[in-house]
Order: sequence, then C-alpha cells, then structure tokens
Amino acid sequence: MTDVPRIRVVDVHKRFGQLEVLRGVSFDVHRGNVVSVIGASGSGKSTLLRCINYLERPDGGEVYLEGEPLGTRTGANGQGRPRSLAEINQMRRELGVVFQQYNLWPHMTVLGNVIEAPMRVRKLRRAEATALAQECLRRVQLIDKAGEYPARLSGGQQQRAAIARALAMRPKAMLFDEPTSSLDPELTDEVLAVMRELAADGTTMIVATHEMGFAREVSDRVIFLHDGLIEEEGPPADLFDAPKSERLGRFLSKYRR
Amino acid sequence: MQALHQAFDLSLFWDYRAILLNGFGVNVLVFLGAAALALLLGLGAALLRVNKFPPLRWLGTIHVELFRNAPDYIMLVWVHFVLPLLIALALRRRVEFDPFFSAVLALGLVYSGYFAETFRAGIEAIPRGNIDAGRAFGMSERLILWRITLPQVVRRMLPEALNQFISLFKATTIVSLIAVPDLMYDVSMVTQQEMRPLPLYTGAALVYFLVIFILATGVRAFSERWRRKILA
Repeated sequence: MTDVPRIRVVDVHKRFGQLEVLRGVSFDVHRGNVVSVIGASGSGKSTLLRCINYLERPDGGEVYLEGEPLGTRTGANGQGRPRSLAEINQMRRELGVVFQQYNLWPHMTVLGNVIEAPMRVRKLRRAEATALAQECLRRVQLIDKAGEYPARLSGGQQQRAAIARALAMRPKAMLFDEPTSSLDPELTDEVLAVMRELAADGTTMIVATHEMGFAREVSDRVIFLHDGLIEEEGPPADLFDAPKSERLGRFLSKYRR
Repeated sequence: MQALHQAFDLSLFWDYRAILLNGFGVNVLVFLGAAALALLLGLGAALLRVNKFPPLRWLGTIHVELFRNAPDYIMLVWVHFVLPLLIALALRRRVEFDPFFSAVLALGLVYSGYFAETFRAGIEAIPRGNIDAGRAFGMSERLILWRITLPQVVRRMLPEALNQFISLFKATTIVSLIAVPDLMYDVSMVTQQEMRPLPLYTGAALVYFLVIFILATGVRAFSERWRRKILA
C-alpha cells in the first residue's frame, strides 16, 4: 500500500467575476490527519472548502480523493474529460460537509435529516439507515432529540445534528466550513468537543476555523491562507509559536488578547 | 317584501336537488381538472423561471404574463371557439372541443399563471444552504427538487395557494357560458321552467359559500400545525 493522500489539492484556482479568490492552492491531507485552515475573513477559506467537493467548480487545478481526480476522468484514449454532474455526485458522497449555517433540512426531523442521504443516495434500507443514524446521533450526544424538528433546537444542537448527518454517509473525510462561527460562545464548546472526539477517533478532517485554540490543539497541520494563497503552513506548534510570515504574526496577535 | 320572502324560500331549490347536485358535481370536476392542470403547468413555468438559462427563463415569463393577465371569461371563450379553429386550419380538418375539455383547459391555463408565481416565490424562499447540503451529500438535482425543495415550497405556499384554489373554484361558475352543464347552467334551465329565479340563485350562492367556507376553514385548520413545524 503506497502512501496516497486521502485528499490532494493541486493548484486550485477560483475566481468570481473579476475577483480571484483562490490563486493556486496546493496541499495534501493524509488518512486520519486533521488540517486546519486559518486566515482572515475573505482569505478564501470557505471557497477552498467548497472547491474541494466541487460545490464550486475550480477554474484551474484539481482535487484528488485517494488519487482519483474529482472533476476529470481519464477516457479510453488517455485524455482527461470533465466529469458529469452525476459522476461528481458519486465522488461527493465520500466527503462529509458541515456548514457554517448548519443547513439542516427544516421539514425533516433530526433523524429524518440523518437518514435522508444514506437512504436516497447510498440506498440503505430504512432500518439500516435508522440504526446507522442512531449510532451517529449517539456520537454527537443528540439521540434524545432524534424526533425534534431543527427549528426547536439550539444552534449548537443543530450543528451537532449536522455533524451526525455528515457522519452517517461514512465519508472518507469530513470538511468543516467554519462550524462554530454562527454560534454563541457558550454553544461553541459543545461542537468543538464533538469535533475533538472525531479527530481522536482518527477521522480525516479539513477544518476552516477561527478557533485558534482548537486548531492548535487538534490539528496535525495548519494552513494560513492569505489573499487566495497559502502564506504559511506547517505543524501547529511552528505556526502558532514561531510564525515566519509577518502577516501570520499580525493575524495571530489579534487572537492573543 | 314578497320578493324578499321569495328569495329566501329555498324549497324550490330543494325540490330540484338531484339535478342541481349533478350540476354542482360538474363544477367540482371542472375544478379538479383545472387545478391539476394549473399546478402541473404552474410548477413547470416556475421551474423555467428559476432556470439559469435566460431563454428558458423568458419562456416561463411569457407563460406567466400571458395567462395571468388574461381574463378567465375571455380565455374560456377563446379556448372554446378560437383555438379549435386555429388547430383546424393547421390540420386542415374540422376540430371541435368538448365544452368540459375547454373549461378545464382555459381555467387551468389562466390559473397556471398564478400558481407559477406562487411556486416561484416558494422556490426562491428556500435557503441556498439547503440545496448546497443536498448537493454535498451527492443528491441529484431531481432528488433535491422532490425531497428538499418542493416539500418546503408546498408548506410555504399553502396559504396563498388556498386563496387561488378558492378563486378557481368560484371561477368554475362561468363555464355555463360555453354550455358546460354545471350548477349555474342547471339553475338557469330550471329558472326558465319555473320562472322563479330568486330562490334558485340564492340557493346557488349559499351552496358555493358554504362549500368554500367549510373546505377552506378545514384545510387551514389541518395544515397550519403541519406548516408551522418547519418555522423557527
């Protein structure tokens, strides 16, 4: 077994009109690793995560999931061709996504949210999907709210439900797009606690975050994004204790108060 | 005084209940047919209007504006008398529409313009993130439409849709114009025989009022709790 990265991001570019949000970002995430992406608002963190599962199609570069390119496919003649939406959907189901705004489906109960994709996309039977969902809801300590509608839950509970929903697809990696940025500070900890446990269980994770304590403690690697480029990356101790880039130093100083 | 008394003496209306009920049944059938057509075409036009390709959007807009702005009375006459002529010209043979068919088609078209706008407002009110979440888990666009978008759209549009259903049901009373044998048609037939229009028309008005009032109140009462669950 060679060491193929779980996720490999190669020279990803993304522009919205005149605005070039990502200007060539490359990094690898190995199995069981946690990579945190930090940077100021507007540095491209969210766009980077959305490009990794093709919610935004990169304008250049490619993302590989266990060596398989997400957006292109090698045809019989050896030439790459863009994948169809159906093929991209096949790849996407291997990546669990947790959004800043939770994005639970409001017309379904918590349990309904968690079993939906396993049933409709993975084609599990209801009983199987329910058993799987209950296991995931236990992991995020929300099993007692399985029958509630999202509108009746706190933000922290909604985000934990969203994590359970992503876990139920048994993804190869989890993408967290600023999962605590919409939460009141007192609700942030319950979500971070769940994420710590996932990391400890060996879940492969990419986390865009403003929680520097979490990034430092849980990450194997930290990426500092500035203006659509990786300004600095490395083990958390290096970045947080001895930032080489002046920008990173200034960025971090804002959190040290 | 005599006239007032006569207007509320509904025994005549009751005497003809079998015929009138039959006519009312035709109203209900026209309503059901037109409602189904309006919902189907309305959803189609709404999906065109939110499409990302401009030509399809324009097509949806044309559909909405054309039918929403056509008076149902004129539409009924046009569909029944003009449309068959146009088709006949194209096919080079005689074409005639059954009045019931014309009524369903005309009212269905007019109300599809209204329903399209209701659907569109409902679709546009769905938070973008709901769709993103579906895509992120590998759901196809069709699955997202049926499992995520439409169930929420239906809940959101229900109060407005109910009003349109009521308007449509009331609009079915004009179909006697092209000789669809509905309640009003029967009422005018009986009137010609009995020469007592007051109790008959009063009875018809009461029947419509009661049926619409009871059904609308019932639907509202049953749907509201179900609808509210999704709102914070």
